Amino acid sequence: MTGPRRFRRSGLRGPWRIAVVEGSMLPAIESGDWLLVDPTTGAWPRRGTAVVFREPGSGELAIKRVAARPGDWVPFTDGYLQLGADEAWLIGDATDEALADAGYGPAVDSRVYGPVPLEALVARAWLRYWPRSRIGRIARLTGNLIERGREGRVPVAPDARPEVPLNEGRPASGVDGA
Amino acid sequence: MSFLTRRLAPTAVARAHCDLPCGVYDPEQARIEAESVYRIIEKYAANEDPTFRTRAIGIKEHQADLVKHHLDVLWHDYFKPEHLATVPNLHELFWNANKQVSKVKAGTSLDDAKTLLDMIDEVDAAWKATGGNTKTRVAGRPG
Repeated sequence: MTGPRRFRRSGLRGPWRIAVVEGSMLPAIESGDWLLVDPTTGAWPRRGTAVVFREPGSGELAIKRVAARPGDWVPFTDGYLQLGADEAWLIGDATDEALADAGYGPAVDSRVYGPVPLEALVARAWLRYWPRSRIGRIARLTGNLIERGREGRVPVAPDARPEVPLNEGRPASGVDGA
Repeated sequence: MSFLTRRLAPTAVARAHCDLPCGVYDPEQARIEAESVYRIIEKYAANEDPTFRTRAIGIKEHQADLVKHHLDVLWHDYFKPEHLATVPNLHELFWNANKQVSKVKAGTSLDDAKTLLDMIDEVDAAWKATGGNTKTRVAGRPG
């Protein structure tokens, strides 16, 4: 499936070039990398694509990977929750072990702040243009990104409702697909 | 080169956000504050002076808040989902302990304060069962 490529005109103002700090996208993206990004992206791209967005709560620019798209079922506590029509589940690449080795704590991503709404999307990461030795496209990752490096289950497509307790023990608000 | 760098420099910074925890956790911190609460309740009961009693209540309130804070840090930062395999009642344990702090704040019962100490000992056992005493202190727990 190709992700929707909705053009967002207001994105033309940028940012087009961003610097990355901190390590949750290791090993694909390192702290200090300079990236060209596409800020005209008006829809959540395909699973596995790295995106720049405004972090819920802090509002700071952050970079993570799309692990699940609108309508997907995401493993959560003992069941699954379904992402809303404009929500994505964004996860860092690095495992806790890799982060500990690099001197960081665990990644702060959707596992901490939950689904991210489309209005928070800023750009799609496209290529690294600095350092020169590592110039190249930021490849899309395939496979299960939900629980990278952790014991985990895979996200489920919108039309295949999983046969497990849903949102067990959690309030239903904000997690249904409406 | 500097001209090029200037022209090509990024215009924004994006965080590949990670936690930067100090990684030092020990239920002893909560235990000491809870012991303060216990002693203050003892002193409160043994002294009729209204000024002393007012001060004692204020101090108890403050120390109890610290107990809650330290319990929350352990719950949210030290314990991880995989620890549930070792301590299946982890969430209940912390929930009840925090409720107990509220109970201690609301009254002056020494029994309630003692129950809180026992609950913190259970948290301590969970911390030990998950290897906290060998991993989270710089030089191990003293004594």
